Amino acid sequence: MIVEGICVVIAAYCAIRAVFEPKTLKKLPYLNVMNFAVAGAIVLLMPYPITICAAIAYFIGSTLESNAIASTFARLEEQ
Amino acid sequence: MIDLLAAIPIAAVICLVLFTALDIFWKLPKQGGVSGADVIGKELEKNGGDLNGGWMIGNIISSPDASAGTLLAACGYYVWGIWGAVISIVLVYIGARICADKGFAGTSGAVCAALIIWALTSFAGFPPESFIAGCVIAIFLVEGISTRHATRLLGKIWRKVS
Amino acid sequence: MTDLILILAIFLALFGGIAALLVRSAFDKLICLGILTAGVVLFLVEKGYLDVAIVVSLLMPVGTIFILLLLGKKQEAAK
Repeated sequence: MIVEGICVVIAAYCAIRAVFEPKTLKKLPYLNVMNFAVAGAIVLLMPYPITICAAIAYFIGSTLESNAIASTFARLEEQ
Repeated sequence: MIDLLAAIPIAAVICLVLFTALDIFWKLPKQGGVSGADVIGKELEKNGGDLNGGWMIGNIISSPDASAGTLLAACGYYVWGIWGAVISIVLVYIGARICADKGFAGTSGAVCAALIIWALTSFAGFPPESFIAGCVIAIFLVEGISTRHATRLLGKIWRKVS
Repeated sequence: MTDLILILAIFLALFGGIAALLVRSAFDKLICLGILTAGVVLFLVEKGYLDVAIVVSLLMPVGTIFILLLLGKKQEAAK
C-alpha cells in the first residue's frame, strides 16, 4: 500500500515535470525517474517470476530510447 | 521484523550510497560513456551544474548502471527470493550487452544489491518491498528534485575521491 | 492497491497522449509518447498479458529509433 503509493506519486510528479520543462534535454532526467517508478510498479502489480522479465525489458527499452533521443538531439541541433 | 514505514528511509539511504559508490568506482563521472550521456552532461553543465556530476547523471540515464541493477535486483528478490535476484542479475547482464555498454556497472550493481538485500532481509527483518521504494526514492533524490544541486554534490564527491 | 496503479496508468496514458498532441517540437513529442507507452505497458501487465508487455516495451523504442533516423533524413533533405 505504502510502497505502491510512493511509486505512483513519484511517477505522476515526474511525468508532469517532464512535460512542463522547457528544454528538451532536461526532460530526460525526469523521464528516467518516471521509468524507474513504473518498473517498480510493474513488479508490485503482479508478483510472478515472468513479471521480472517484463520489468527488465521495459527498463532496458526506456534506457535505449533515452539514449537514442539524447544522441540524435545532439547531432541534429548542432547543425 | 522491522516496520515498513521505518525500513523505507534506511533502504533509501543504503541504495543511494550503494549505487553512488559503485558508479564512482567504475569511473562513470570521468567521461560521458555513450554519446547520449556526453550530451546530457554538457547540457546540465550549461545550466549551472557541474560537468562531472552531469556526466554521471547522463550515464545513469543512457546506460544501465548500478542504479538500474539495484532496482531490478530488489524487484527480483521481492518476487522470488534469491532465485529472482539471480534471474535479474542474468537479465541485467544481457540488457547491458543489448545497450552496447561494455562495462560491468549494471551487473556489479545487481550483484552487490542482491547480496545486501539478502543479508538485510534474512538477518535484520527488512521487508523486501522496502528496497523497491527505497531505490525509487534514492533515484528521485538524485535526478528528480534539482539536477543542478545534485550535479554539484556529485562533482564534489568525485573530485574528493579521485 | 492495484486500483492505485491502475489510476496511475490511466493518468500517464491520457497525460502523455494529450501532451504529445499539444507540444511543438518533434523530440518533445517523442518523449511524450514514451510517457504514453508507460501507461500502456501498465495496462497490459494489469490484465495479465505479460508476453505482450515484453514485446511492446521492446518494440516501442525500436519505433522511436526509426522516427529519429527519419528526422535526420528530413533535416538533411531540407538543406
